[in-house]
Amino acid sequence: MKSREPGDDAVGLPAGTEQSDLELVRRAQQNERGAFDLLVLKYQHKVIKLVARLLRDPTEAEDVAQEAFVKAYRALGSFRGDSAFYTWLYRIAVNTARNSIASRQRRPLDYEAELSESEQNNVEARLKHDDTPEATVLSEEIRVTVNQAIEQLPEDLRTAIVLREVEGLSYEEIAAAMDCPVGTVRSRIFRAREAIDRALKPLLD
Amino acid sequence: MTDQIREQLSALLDGELPRDEMGLLMRRLDKDSELRRTFGSYALIGETLRAPGGRIAAPSFAARVSAAIDEATPIVEKTSTTRRGDAIQASRHVTLWKRPMVRTGLAAGAAAAAVLLFRPDVTPVAEIAATPANTFAMSASPTPAQSQRLASYMVAHSQYSTPMVRRNVLSSLLAADPGITRVSYEMGEAP
Repeated sequence: MKSREPGDDAVGLPAGTEQSDLELVRRAQQNERGAFDLLVLKYQHKVIKLVARLLRDPTEAEDVAQEAFVKAYRALGSFRGDSAFYTWLYRIAVNTARNSIASRQRRPLDYEAELSESEQNNVEARLKHDDTPEATVLSEEIRVTVNQAIEQLPEDLRTAIVLREVEGLSYEEIAAAMDCPVGTVRSRIFRAREAIDRALKPLLD
Repeated sequence: MTDQIREQLSALLDGELPRDEMGLLMRRLDKDSELRRTFGSYALIGETLRAPGGRIAAPSFAARVSAAIDEATPIVEKTSTTRRGDAIQASRHVTLWKRPMVRTGLAAGAAAAAVLLFRPDVTPVAEIAATPANTFAMSASPTPAQSQRLASYMVAHSQYSTPMVRRNVLSSLLAADPGITRVSYEMGEAP
């Protein structure tokens, strides 16, 4: 069992994520660039969210997050898998944000921001973190669209996606909870994602 | 992009895709931007459900990161590749640096030789080099007629040479013939 450190965001990731990430890292270490691209797609929102809160300057969050991903790619050869990939990436992102603040003599780090995940359940709390109004509106639209799409799903699909994404259960655990084969769980989660993706697409295009 | 492939993508995100299915899917992902977009969207759905709110990445973010990484060194054989790359880069640098300098040097040398040979009253270069009093010969002030001829040469030469070559020729002449300073200055002042 791997030890966890304070601020370890990988704690909140669903089951199977670490193993999947390690496989992608292994492939990226063998110069399979597509594997690292998937890790970027997977964690881009999480890293940008983190960096935006640390910088308190949302307009530069993407630049700093990009720098963090490039640093991670360059250092990937030294990643041994002692911690979860996201934990490692998280440290790189925090250090990159710190360096950015130091080099530009910005306001000091908002360390409390790392602890205020629960605050983000309402729009006012998000505005307090200096997010741009556009980003806040888009984020809110995405949240509403995802929730509405989930509400409209048939119950078996809704249960499967919630158990996976919110509760973080593995397919096997979901299969046991829903009393169905693992293959059915895989199909239900996929169909739930497809329905939500269709609803989201107009917002993101 | 079939449902089966997207279902594999969904399972990949969850770490539930068998390893033997991964290779083919990765190759498809390399070629299919819509498949990559779908993967990003699936990830966003999970992120929104677990931690709603906050900033999200622009649709072009992952592509920008990918482009920035393309400029980075590959991870495997990083050291040897870097050394090889450095060597290639250094050699290219030297070559690129050498080419104009060599050309310029040759052109300047030829031009300087031509200028000296154009002067009928001056001893040929080889003889000057062999003469103990060559310092005197090189530094002697030219007559106004000679200076005028040199100025004419400069004007004619400037039509067929680059600025750097002109500068080199001019430097050579100034070093060899202080009288030219006045002529050049007058030419520069002319409207």
